Amino acid sequence: MTARIALLAYLAAIVLGTTVHAIGPLALGLALVLALAGREWLRILRRACVAILLFNVVITLSYGIISTLQGSFSLEFVALVNLRVLLLTCLTFLFVFRVNPFDALAFSRSLTFLFTLAYSQSMAFKQALEDFRLAFKSRRIEPVGLRDRYRHSARMGAYFLDKSLHQAGEITQAMRSRGFFDD
Amino acid sequence: MHIPDGFIAPQMYLPAYGAAIGLWAYGLRRLRTALREETIPRLAVLTAFCFVLMMVMLPLPGGTSAHATGIALLAILFGVWTAFISVSLVLLLQALLFGAGGVTALALNALAMGLVGSAAARYSYLLLRRVHEGFGLVVAGWLSVNAAALLMALALGSQPLLAHAEDGQPLFFPFGLSITLPAVMIPHALVGIGEGVLTLLMFRLLSQRGWVSQP
Amino acid sequence: MIELERVSYHYPESEPALKEVSFSVAQNEHVVLLGANGCGKTTLLRILNGLIFPQQGAYRYESEPVTPRRLRDKSWSRRFRSEVVLLFQHPEAMLFNPTVYDEIAYGLRQLGVDDLHGRVRCWADRLGVEQQLQRPPLHLSGGEKQKVCLAALLALEPQLLLLDEPTANLDPRSTGWLIDFLQDLRVTTVATTHNLSLAGELGDRVLVLSEEHELIFDGRMEDLLGDEEKLLAANLVHSHRHGSSRDKRFHVHDWS
Repeated sequence: MTARIALLAYLAAIVLGTTVHAIGPLALGLALVLALAGREWLRILRRACVAILLFNVVITLSYGIISTLQGSFSLEFVALVNLRVLLLTCLTFLFVFRVNPFDALAFSRSLTFLFTLAYSQSMAFKQALEDFRLAFKSRRIEPVGLRDRYRHSARMGAYFLDKSLHQAGEITQAMRSRGFFDD
Repeated sequence: MHIPDGFIAPQMYLPAYGAAIGLWAYGLRRLRTALREETIPRLAVLTAFCFVLMMVMLPLPGGTSAHATGIALLAILFGVWTAFISVSLVLLLQALLFGAGGVTALALNALAMGLVGSAAARYSYLLLRRVHEGFGLVVAGWLSVNAAALLMALALGSQPLLAHAEDGQPLFFPFGLSITLPAVMIPHALVGIGEGVLTLLMFRLLSQRGWVSQP
Repeated sequence: MIELERVSYHYPESEPALKEVSFSVAQNEHVVLLGANGCGKTTLLRILNGLIFPQQGAYRYESEPVTPRRLRDKSWSRRFRSEVVLLFQHPEAMLFNPTVYDEIAYGLRQLGVDDLHGRVRCWADRLGVEQQLQRPPLHLSGGEKQKVCLAALLALEPQLLLLDEPTANLDPRSTGWLIDFLQDLRVTTVATTHNLSLAGELGDRVLVLSEEHELIFDGRMEDLLGDEEKLLAANLVHSHRHGSSRDKRFHVHDWS
């Protein structure tokens, strides 16, 4: 129940953050989010900065160049947009750190189940992907050509799809065996 | 196409959510009648497939690479609705569990990649395979990437028009269509070729395996 | 041939996988790395294969440190990658060529060997996959896939063969075959297993990794079997009540 309220509060805060267009309130919002983060504020701030760094640097730099050429450069816009992005990203990380997203989705049994299953399968596949990558690296004596890289990527893709369909059958059987479809 | 939060105006992302929620509900109901008990397991594993494929490298010349998506393959093999829901779930997983990619852009991304991208891929394949199957697959892969990219370029490029301050300064994404269209479309035109080739190769491997049923 | 000096490794944002592991392996030794699941065996083999690099300590192959920087040297990396090879636990991870023939030829083509066809046939014969040469590897059974991988690795005539749980996915007949095959092989090997009853068959020198990720034993199998305390500590044996007896007894179980 509390997780669902947190989810709604988080979504409301996100919408609010995109309707305010003044630097003062946004800065205040960021301070509030970091205060709510407590001892983890630095970790959240750092992760948010890393997450948005590339996109924001590219956008800010190109905005700087283009708008200066057009004579419309506004420092206020640069501050506003970067502050907003940072605030919203910190908000997301705060939510991710504090609330178990599986609980937030608990209003629907099917949705929770789908989400949990998709997550655990994704993690298993991620690990297998790492094996594939290392095995490819291990067997590579010379720098590889484009052809081999495509072959390898395609082989991985086909493997995962093959595995997916096999798993779908297994999971259905297991769910049936545990009486998931009975009610 | 991971756009952080704060670049898309609520005038756009709120209606996008409205549309997406309706389509998610419709798509799920359709799948439930078709797949029955298999709905949840199948969507879950195909979501995982899509998730992991987005981590697979799409090799580009010169040793560089981009990320594959696998959306064309999903749409061709399992239909547009399965692809749409799976892609949406991947975006949700990435946003909620890893804080990757914005929440505000999620619905827009899901509509662009999951619905428009996969519909473009599936229907172009169904049309072109009569001429040449391999060609149809490559085009489907290319279109799945580029139809989605076009939609995102249009969405981003219309931000300055949708929301700006009284003095005309932008409030969200600062560039208009004259910049977003070439900046987004030119690299994706190249990445799309890679996706097309990968779609073709994966499809061939899966046909060898003997279980690719004709859509 | 190889030396490890106080090697520690930890994956990002998680507990250490290896703590200050030191040992060396000489030419033509057959070493078994024994430990319970999750103790760091796979990590150690990946370090030995130059796929990941320890944060602390040093790993040397033929007295040369194996580091990302050293591997950027093309001629050295070419030598290292063809001389030190790793059989992954899941052979699927290694196979991506269209046919078994191409799979075995993959490394040989990179090395540009003269008698490609002869070498491929020779190793296909030795591993008993000569009938499968034109088939796609993904159509084979698990045991056959492993043989194809072994053929592809051994065709390079490596100096050091690393094997990650080579018997874990095999039935008893294939396990027997593999053990015989490895015993006849004149290559230095380091094989991992969690199966105490097979360890003696896979090599003559045993290294034991504890569940605390430390090397706690390095010696002969006979000496290890006499050391109850270490066996229990490394989770290689278990004790439980037998039948109507109230006493707990420890013993080796074949739980492959």
